[in-house]
Amino acid sequence: MSERDSNTGDAHDVTPDAPCAGTVRVDDSGGGIVGNEFAEVGVAVDHSGNGPRLRLEDYRTGRVRNLDALELETIIWLPEERLTQLLDPSTTRWREEPDR
Amino acid sequence: MTTTVPDSARATSRPDYAALIEPSRVHGSLYTDPRVFADELERIWYRSWVFVGHESEVPESGDYVRKSIGPQDIIMTRGRDGDVHLVFNRCAHRGNLVCEDARGNANAFRCPYHGWTYRNTGELLGYPYNKGYGGKGNLDLSLGRVPRVDSYRGFVFASLAEDGPTLAEHLGAAAGEIDRLARLSPEGRIDLGAGWLQHRTRANWKLLAENETDGYHPQFVHSSIFSVTGSPIGPLYSDNSTAVTRDLGNGHSENDLRPEFRRQGEPMRWFGTSESRVPNYVARMREVYGDAADDILTEGAPHVMIFPNLFIAEIQVFVIQPLSVDECVQHSTAVQLGGAEELNSRMVSQSIGSVGPAGMLLADDTEMYERNQRGLEMRQPEWLDVRRGMHREALDEDGYRTGAATDETGIRGFWSHYRRLMEVDT
Repeated sequence: MSERDSNTGDAHDVTPDAPCAGTVRVDDSGGGIVGNEFAEVGVAVDHSGNGPRLRLEDYRTGRVRNLDALELETIIWLPEERLTQLLDPSTTRWREEPDR
Repeated sequence: MTTTVPDSARATSRPDYAALIEPSRVHGSLYTDPRVFADELERIWYRSWVFVGHESEVPESGDYVRKSIGPQDIIMTRGRDGDVHLVFNRCAHRGNLVCEDARGNANAFRCPYHGWTYRNTGELLGYPYNKGYGGKGNLDLSLGRVPRVDSYRGFVFASLAEDGPTLAEHLGAAAGEIDRLARLSPEGRIDLGAGWLQHRTRANWKLLAENETDGYHPQFVHSSIFSVTGSPIGPLYSDNSTAVTRDLGNGHSENDLRPEFRRQGEPMRWFGTSESRVPNYVARMREVYGDAADDILTEGAPHVMIFPNLFIAEIQVFVIQPLSVDECVQHSTAVQLGGAEELNSRMVSQSIGSVGPAGMLLADDTEMYERNQRGLEMRQPEWLDVRRGMHREALDEDGYRTGAATDETGIRGFWSHYRRLMEVDT
């Protein structure tokens, strides 16, 4: 739908109808990119298996995770504080201990 | 040997504002002295209520826009709690800018320098490799939060002082002008989400604030746009006009054009059009406001300068952002009114025509601001004259000082409030 707009404060920057900054592109299969200045993730419903699953791709690293319906439902029901904990970089990616 | 600066010397190192601001003239150094600008930051921009943005710019949870309070970079966010928050754009770790984009949607921000993450309300969520800090949750840090945030009809204001007058006290009579604008919406709702233009201007911010309700210049500075467009605005600012300039107190002022529009008695003339060109809007307004609609549609939108940085110019809003003693940015956007689609597209086109990159109105004014700044660097004469119309001012029925359409009543109101703020010791 729209590329990220580069409204970074230059003089004479005209944005009368500009959508929110960030990236939302939707392809034919209903997938797309959910992006902002902090992260950019490709989103697609993958039908290659026996049932559909959500394919998420971190475009900055290429890392992919597939989520099935129950996992997605779980995320929806995740208490706010649990989600907040996951946003602590030391909880997930940037920590001294290797993944178990 | 130890030397100390005596208190008396320290006191005299500040400009003497009482000596620089007189009722009928102001000193040129107020526009050119960097010490004055430094004082203004502390006494006005970082203390008084300053307009930051409009709630309609962050309609959804997670929305954010980069805003400013003078040179300060401020992020205005809509939290999960539904409230609007203002935080400083500065990481608590090493001071990097946390947000780069002018706007976006993010419930959490991640500093690009070392990856610290924050809730969009300012709370620190975490930092990479936490052993270096003895584990998680060990730092009592957050993004800086603006001490006082309040809004009026969606207009969000900030004060960097913990105490002081309330927003309602600061706005005073100017709140009624915002009401007038909202009343032009059949839903009573103002939207400032059309996008902002930014014009960097090499002039002191006060030249802009004074000019916004100076009814003396339009016939000269804007004569070309008036003649090209056949605009009826010019005669509103002449000696024959019944319009008035009003000092609304607290540094706010307006050009009240209602007497002229009432005399003409034609709904929508304030907008340079007629009822037949915007039939759906007019019908909706009559449906909502009944008998009052005719007055509302005839009197039109306000032309008000709200101290120190919000200028509502009928169909567009300007925000003045000072950067240094001789530089500022003018931010401008088209007013959009809830439920007034027919009017809204016209307001965008009119705004582009007047303040867009090829627009004429703002370019005219900016040329004057920059010439003015250069002129002020000349050594003689030292003063600027602001006496126009002093002899014919009167108090109106509400007790506000009112002058003729081309009088400098608003400018004098600005200086009187400015002097009060600048003389306060911090």
